[in-house]
This record gives sequence, C-alpha cells and structure tokens, in this order.
Amino acid sequence: MANLFDRWAPLMAQRDALFGDGINPFNVVMDEVLSQTEATIGGRHTILVGTNNYLGLTFQPEALKAAHDALDACGTGTTGSRMANGTYYGHKDLETALCDFFQKKHAMVFSTGFLANMGILSTLMGPEDFILMDADCHASIYDGVRGSSAQVIRFKHNDPADLDKRLARLADKPGNKLIVVEGIYSMLGDKAPMAEFAAVKRKYENVYLLSDEAHSMGVCGRYGRGVPEEAGVEDDVDFIVGTFSKSVGTVGGFCVSNLDNFDTLRLVTRAYIFTASLPPSVVASATVNLEIIKNGGVLRKRIERNSEQLHSGLAALGLKIASDVSPVVAVVAPDPVTAIAFWRGLIEAGVYVNLALPPATPFGYCLLRASICAAHTEEQLDRVIGIFADVATKLGLIDTDTQKVAARA
Amino acid sequence: MNASAEPSPDTLATLVKILAGFNKTGTELKPETRFTEDLNFDSLVVMEFVAVVEDDFDISVPLNILPDVATVKDLALAIDKILKDDGR
Ligand SMILES: Cc1ncc(COP(=O)(O)O)c(C=O)c1O
Repeated sequence: MANLFDRWAPLMAQRDALFGDGINPFNVVMDEVLSQTEATIGGRHTILVGTNNYLGLTFQPEALKAAHDALDACGTGTTGSRMANGTYYGHKDLETALCDFFQKKHAMVFSTGFLANMGILSTLMGPEDFILMDADCHASIYDGVRGSSAQVIRFKHNDPADLDKRLARLADKPGNKLIVVEGIYSMLGDKAPMAEFAAVKRKYENVYLLSDEAHSMGVCGRYGRGVPEEAGVEDDVDFIVGTFSKSVGTVGGFCVSNLDNFDTLRLVTRAYIFTASLPPSVVASATVNLEIIKNGGVLRKRIERNSEQLHSGLAALGLKIASDVSPVVAVVAPDPVTAIAFWRGLIEAGVYVNLALPPATPFGYCLLRASICAAHTEEQLDRVIGIFADVATKLGLIDTDTQKVAARA
Repeated sequence: MNASAEPSPDTLATLVKILAGFNKTGTELKPETRFTEDLNFDSLVVMEFVAVVEDDFDISVPLNILPDVATVKDLALAIDKILKDDGR
C-alpha cells in the first residue's frame, strides 16, 4: 500500500534540496525570550524583526497583571465552548470593550483570527448569494469561503474598478453580495484603497463590505481602528474581522458589526460553537491592551518613525522593497536559493525576519519579510540595516559603490 | 459536467490560444487535455490562468466550479454557461 505521505514526497524533496542541513525557518526555536524585540535563537542573541508584534504590547505591565489576576481568579482554561460552559464574565467584558473600541453595536470573540474568518465567511452568505474577495486574501479567508454555499468570485488585488465590473455583472441577480478585503496585506504590507472600495459598494444594492484588519488594527487610524477609520469610511464597512495575535499582543479573534441581529451568528457559526473559548488570562490581557491601543497615538508615531527608518535604510542599499512605507517591509530576493541564503545570513548574524516563498506570496515573490515593532530602538534598526548590507553584499545583491553613494547621500 | 454537450468552437479556440502561454510541458492541446495531469498545473498556475480567462472573456468564473473542471472541454462548457447566464 502507498505510504500515506507519499502525496507530498515531491514537496519534501524540494524542501530538502532547498534547505539542506542547518538552520531553516521550520526549525527556529526561541530558547529565551528577552523582550518584545530580542530573543536567544540557537545560542545567539537575536533582534526580532518578524513578529507582527506591531505595538510591542506582549509585555505590557497592566496586561501582564490582568492576566495573572485572571489566572488566579478563574484558572488556566475554560474547558468549554462559548455556547456551553466557556463564556465567563471576562469574555463578555472583552466583547463590550471591542464594541467600545470599534464604536460598533455588536462583537463576537473567537478563539483565533483564523477561526473568526472561517466561521464568519463560511456562515454569513447563503446559496443565492455572492462573495467577491480580493485575490490576495489570507489563507483563512480562502478556507472560510470554501465552506460557504455562496458563489465565490475573486477580483484583482486592490482594484476597485475590477470589483465594480464584477458587481455590475451581478446587478440583476437577487442575492446579497459580500465584498471581502484586508486593511493591510500581510505579505507585502500594501494597503487597501478602502474609500474607493466603499464608493463602489455604495453604487449597488444589497452589497456588504467586510474587512480583515489583522495587520492594520492598532497601526492605522487616529484611534487604531484600522484602515476604515483612516480612510473615513467606517460606516460603509459592515463587518470588521480581526485578531489579538498581532498588535493586541496575545491570541484570539473577533468580528464586530453594527448590523441588527448580528448575534444570530452565535447560534449558527460552527467555528464559534464547536471549539473551546479563550482562557481567562488571554481574555483579560486583550481587554486591557485594547484600552492601551485606543490611546496609543505615541506608539503609532513610533511605528511610523521606525517603518520609515527601516524602509529608507534598506531601499538606500539598493534592495527592492515590495511596497511603500508600511509596518511590513518586504525585501524581494531574485530566487528561492538566494532568498534562503539571505535569510540564513541574517539569522546567523543575529537578525530574525520571515522567509516567505511562493505559493504563499503574490507575484511569485521570494521575500525577506520584516515587520516593525513600536519598541524597536533606532540603534536596533541601524544594526539590522547594517547586517542586511553585509549579507546582501556577500551575496552580490548590491554593489558596494551604490552603497557608498547611499551612505554619503 | 455534462459529458454529451459540446462547447462552442469559438470558446474552445480562444481557450486553446490562452492556454498556449501556460503550456510548459509541450503537450498537444485538445478538448480532453487535463489541466493537472497533462499540463502539470498547480493551484497557483490555475489561479493565474483563470484570471487571464476572466479578462479575455470578460466574465467572472466562480471558484466553486473549479473542482469540477478537469479538462479544457469542461472549462469551455463552463464558460459557455456563464456567458449564457450573463445573457450574451
Ligand atoms: C490577514 C490575516 N487574517 C487572519 C489571520 C489569522 O490570525 P490568527 O493568528 O489570530 O489566527 C492572519 C494571521 O496570520 C492574517 O494575516
């Protein structure tokens, strides 16, 4: 009989050929977490520039205290789903805090952002309906819509005109339509033209808009409500899905909305009903950090400053960066072998970034993906840029003359 | 897919023309050519190819139908149906 895993034999062979022996992204272990921005990996002191910990709140003292208190008061876990024994006062308080944070009437907390997308997208639209999703959406959105009975149509990434064309073709179909976009896209850090999408939405009847603010919550908007706030179109965005695993600094997912009867979803969403709820300590730290994020103007300024420093520093070396200034700084490498050598050179010099290869990336890009933390210091980022320069020069990716010119400029 | 129905020759011809740009195996392109087995399409190539088809025919191809599309003929029939539903 065939081995169960033979199906993936070509993939495994490809992985072995690409990575060989030694450190690779699949065997990185943080032996010691020193702070939001530093850890020990393989005995080496390492600056972390690939954590999605945008606001650096993983060690926020008030959140730590709230988590400790909740742990002592309620124990290590709820041992039940939200619908059964898993809803504690903390979960209700967190939903109230989310309503307050996003200024929406309703909020539903899930166990992860992945499950929030799976749950909402597989449930919301029915057999007569249509989902129109941006082609670059996250895996959890793809997996969510696959479970939906609606027809699923992709439109070109960040292209309101393409969306418009596709909605026009559906204009005389009676079903509801749901547009699905993300605020900031995780791989390249590019931002959705949310005001333009909202304008397209307004042209048609029975159209709803959902935005996944995983990478923009806490980062964009005066009060951190993400790209809809920044673009001034919050009333047009009917559903915001998000995660606590990035700027909120813990784990969990949510969906907020102003639509009446939103709570119906609690009775019909399988990814909400059939999985255990978040532990009380996690819930408590998320609740506290929402307040910090709302008043986090100073942190957002730090992110902006740091993004600018890393982006311009790496661009000045002559490296290709996949998007404009953003908290995600993705350096494009010419091919997988070079990307892996680059990544390895960085980690062996004490810099951790994400290695992202196709098919997980748009345009078949091979990426060294850095993400900014508000807690990065200017000195840390200077060091990171210096190490990028060393490794890129060794790989022949930048010529030293350009670099000298850049240094003088 | 309805095995007995035949796709429109125009649809088939356009599809074959688009496919030529994606045909890395040198396989002869016939109605019964299979995307995965004969042309080695992976999920990423399928997505790129579908996007070009959508542009060329000016249609939306729902993701839901893709699991039922194995051959060039299957896709041609699906496109004919979408064009008909769109009243074209
Ligand atoms: C756009 C997007 N949505 C959802 C998720 C899932 O979030 P979580 O880590 O909470 O499952 C992620 C993170 O990987 C993401 O990048």
